[in-house]
Amino acid sequence: MKHRVVITGLGLCTPLGRSAEEFWGNLLAGHSGIGRISLFDTSSLPVRIGGEVKDFKSGELLRTFTEAENEKDRKIWLELDAAAGAIADSNLPHGALQTAALFVGVSLETFFLEDVTHMAHAPKASQNFMRQVLDQEPRRRLQTPLDRLTQILGNHYSLNHGRYTNCSACAAGAQVIGEAFRRVRDGTTAVALAGASDSTLNPLALGGFSLLQILSTENDRPEKACRPFDATRQGTVLAEGAAFVVMETLEHAHRRGARIYAEVLGYGSSLDAYRVTDPEPNGRGAVLSMTKAIRDAGLQPENIACINAHGTGTPKNDVAETLAIKQALGAHARAIPVTANKSMTGHMIATCGALEAIASAMTLFTRKVPPTINRACPDSQCDLDYVVEGCRDFEGRTVLSNSFGFGGQNASLVFGRLDP
Amino acid sequence: MRKSVVITGIGMVTPLGKNPSEILSGIEAGRSAADRPTNFYATPFACPVCAEIKDFQPQRYLSESKMIRLMNRDAQLAVAAAHLALMDAGVKPGEIYLPEEIGLFGATGLAGLPLAEVVPLIKASADDNGNFDPVRFGQMGLRAVSPILSFKILSNMPLCFVSICENIQGPNGIYTPWEGQGAQAIETAIRALESGDVACALTGGCDVKTHELAFLSLEQHGLFASWQQNHSGILPGEGAVFLVMETADRAIARGARMYAQVSGFSLRTHQLGESRTDTFGEVFKGLSLPSEPLSALVAADNGDVSSGKDEHQALSSRKITASTVIHPKKQAGDVFAAAAGLQVGLAAILASRCGGRVLANCFGHGSEQAAFVLEKP
Repeated sequence: MKHRVVITGLGLCTPLGRSAEEFWGNLLAGHSGIGRISLFDTSSLPVRIGGEVKDFKSGELLRTFTEAENEKDRKIWLELDAAAGAIADSNLPHGALQTAALFVGVSLETFFLEDVTHMAHAPKASQNFMRQVLDQEPRRRLQTPLDRLTQILGNHYSLNHGRYTNCSACAAGAQVIGEAFRRVRDGTTAVALAGASDSTLNPLALGGFSLLQILSTENDRPEKACRPFDATRQGTVLAEGAAFVVMETLEHAHRRGARIYAEVLGYGSSLDAYRVTDPEPNGRGAVLSMTKAIRDAGLQPENIACINAHGTGTPKNDVAETLAIKQALGAHARAIPVTANKSMTGHMIATCGALEAIASAMTLFTRKVPPTINRACPDSQCDLDYVVEGCRDFEGRTVLSNSFGFGGQNASLVFGRLDP
Repeated sequence: MRKSVVITGIGMVTPLGKNPSEILSGIEAGRSAADRPTNFYATPFACPVCAEIKDFQPQRYLSESKMIRLMNRDAQLAVAAAHLALMDAGVKPGEIYLPEEIGLFGATGLAGLPLAEVVPLIKASADDNGNFDPVRFGQMGLRAVSPILSFKILSNMPLCFVSICENIQGPNGIYTPWEGQGAQAIETAIRALESGDVACALTGGCDVKTHELAFLSLEQHGLFASWQQNHSGILPGEGAVFLVMETADRAIARGARMYAQVSGFSLRTHQLGESRTDTFGEVFKGLSLPSEPLSALVAADNGDVSSGKDEHQALSSRKITASTVIHPKKQAGDVFAAAAGLQVGLAAILASRCGGRVLANCFGHGSEQAAFVLEKP
């Protein structure tokens, strides 16, 4: 038996806000969360801008998450903030959590260079490095395994019905929601917490991505730097953040009188099998993931009423995604609004799919499509109805959300409005 | 109605060889790959040994030297094992199955930065007092690292390389970083086949724990505690294992050789306050095993004294016995994210050879624990 699956809790920690209401208000108003990076001195780096969660202090959360006292990895704290928000928003009783499954998307391990640099000038640094790291007091781990996020969250809330740590890069956030959806739908679990967290605003990650030349270097006008589907777009802008949703069966939600933001209707994933550096230029993999998600939802392409695009603002992605949308939806592609949240949020890598799932749910819940800001010069190759004039009223019943990962992993989700 | 899932291809690149039947024979004959590390001095660590693959040549599996340079060793091993699995199954994407009908579900281990690439970066980024200086990092540190470093530390890359090299375009998921996540990858593949989401699945994992940063992580995570206390413990290994899974009806229709059919699986989250023996017991409970002895057991025991004891107690308390018991991790090395693939792959060969039911325990570090039951189709 297949269950209907609904979203009943939203939590996020982003440059545009730490609650669904604040985030959504800023997104609809077209506010940019991109600015100069203040977390460390970026003056010698080619990229000095990003989407930071401002005024975020992990100390605020320490009272609740005492077990995370020694955690230095910023994405752990962003995660705990967002996940706690989603659980609180859902009003789930604690007993329901104990039988819930947990799905967490993450991408890059954080290496704490500052903990080991002082050893660099020791004689024979390479040979002695390990012993020095092992002997230093207090003991510090050079790297944090990605499942640490899953463990802390799972242990704190006793989420004991399976814990999954997905590392599918920029597709991870959408994949975890898709996997959770499948398991709730098939009855493996009645409740799931799914989401993602990432922070690439540290020297090694920001430096490493800079070397790949996919980032905008328009450091002097940060809020204008990410311009999805614009002819003058230069690249994407990294950001940090976390986004989580509580999902449950419709009957479970009805039984407890939960507020329902949206229904999850379908999920599809695919692989480009092309290059690790570039998207397949014709959007082959993206077409596949969208088509699978629409079919999984039991819909036809013409039933899709809005698209929340991956829309990174890189020259290659936006053209390939536009081509893919046109192939997947045919002539109907030109009849529906397309929006790109990254123009305002920046690219949160693993988190983006989960965050854009929340934006899709809010589109259905509030009947508003947020704008794509900074598209002043239309690109003739990007010729869909991008929502550029400000937020738009929306009476449609479905939203398709795309996430395409570095390395060629794609994921698409279809959400539907559930009338009271 | 859920479909029956079978294993039709096995690809292994391990310290005990690349031929799955020979690897199994070697384990049964007591062969061990344990040796002193050849790439670094183990003296700083409590564990003095590891299991290395001595003769691995990625160019035997990959003609593009440019792509080999982008890969870390985990990815090179993954690409080789995936290729061997598909060859063994007689599956070439685009022929029997369309590329988009084939799913890819795998696990990768902790990001393995080569120390040789890290130390120059660290040195160049230190100020005169030895503190990290982000300005120097930007000016000199970044110049000391390769632009392709990101490809070597992103955990999804090994599987992405597999998809590119084998033209696999279907549903996918990549999990990290321990054996439990490898078991989850296999579980997800089975569910995708059962539900009809994929017609064929390539599943398994890769991991390399034979370099000094891996040893550092293992020691920092307490995985060498048994070495410190008992002078014996886990044997860190390296390798990749992939399995080709299909639905039984499709495999029969194309006349494929079937090693084994998946007759059960059980996954369990280790909860705070619960003993590991109890967790393993709960895993077994989820399998509904018959009371008669199994034909074989692929034990999870990796040489760590306490975890071996926990597994033994859990088996005893559930009265689970087997005619044949093997301990691959003690001989071929513990390959963490690839370990579930190795356990299940060896169980499939045993099921094919001995008949009856074979239990593959996938117990390891982290919270997720699992077991699979296989039998001859």
